[in-house]
Amino acid sequence: MMRIVDAQQAAIAALGRAGDWLDATQRIAAWREVRAAATDRLDLDRRAAVSPNASSAQHSATDELTAAAMEVVHRVATDPGRLTRAWADEQIGELGEEVYTELVGVVAIASVIDRFHDATGATRPDLPDPEPGQPSRVRPADVGDIGAWVSQTTGPARANVSRTLSLVPVTNDTWRDLVDSHYSRGAEFMSAVWDRTLSRPQIELLAARTTVLNECFY
Amino acid sequence: MSSDALGATIDLDRVVDREYVGEIGLPHGDVLLAFVNAVHLGEPTLSDVRHDLTAAVGEVGLLEAAATIAVFNGLVRVADGTGIQLDVGLDEFSHDDRARLGIDRFAGAANTTARTRSGVPPATIGELFG
Repeated sequence: MMRIVDAQQAAIAALGRAGDWLDATQRIAAWREVRAAATDRLDLDRRAAVSPNASSAQHSATDELTAAAMEVVHRVATDPGRLTRAWADEQIGELGEEVYTELVGVVAIASVIDRFHDATGATRPDLPDPEPGQPSRVRPADVGDIGAWVSQTTGPARANVSRTLSLVPVTNDTWRDLVDSHYSRGAEFMSAVWDRTLSRPQIELLAARTTVLNECFY
Repeated sequence: MSSDALGATIDLDRVVDREYVGEIGLPHGDVLLAFVNAVHLGEPTLSDVRHDLTAAVGEVGLLEAAATIAVFNGLVRVADGTGIQLDVGLDEFSHDDRARLGIDRFAGAANTTARTRSGVPPATIGELFG
């Protein structure tokens, strides 16, 4: 269990530091918006509509996040199952694929942290104070078009879900540590029988129902 | 439709029925489904369901369940947010089951069916997730 707690603490701290292309204040602001999205009127209306494009209303920019960044954060947080290529292309055109991908990663990491606390009944952690520092601004050399909406690692022998955030390595390191500690646990993933309190079929049942509730095809 | 997993026969139709909570073919499957639904929907019953789950699988089991639900809420967002395609081998292997279970109706299916697939199919699960 300490691996989970340690990874959560590391992820909270990481969102309080500069990342790949976003500074600390922007990453914390994105996390704040993830929380706000749960009760945001526009997000609730979109979620209830037959099409999320039914409303022409838009999220306004804040001091830290542009309107496009706000759109990405709120839509990925509240309605990920109905995102489309056209929508993503529009946001990527405004933000660039690196910033777009980092925002997706920050939303995912924040979602893991908050959902874990909600599930266990613990109080959600306070947002971290921003640490000084600049984004790394490193675009990996080994990324390209493998059919996703954003560039990803091009090596053939890796699942697409394992390279979703490979365009933003700083954010990806935090993300992969969460996945490994909360689910896959290194080499144990290859075994049909897991050395845990819950059996592998029980864990996969939770995983499958979670993906269904989020209408995730992958 | 059912699936055999380590000796247990799991009713997949009920797994993908988002409103179904009950017997599924696994020990404590009913309370596990109640828990994941209560967490996702923020239901007022969450506290009671959490208590039931703890009684069934213990504190560590509860934490493992919470960790799984949490991380898959992240996984669906990175998968759908970056528009990844279903991997070639997995796409072919799951084709009939996806259609049968209605998973192909999810919006994200368009990422795989409408675009040219690339890459070499992995030969093993280890290659897929290693």
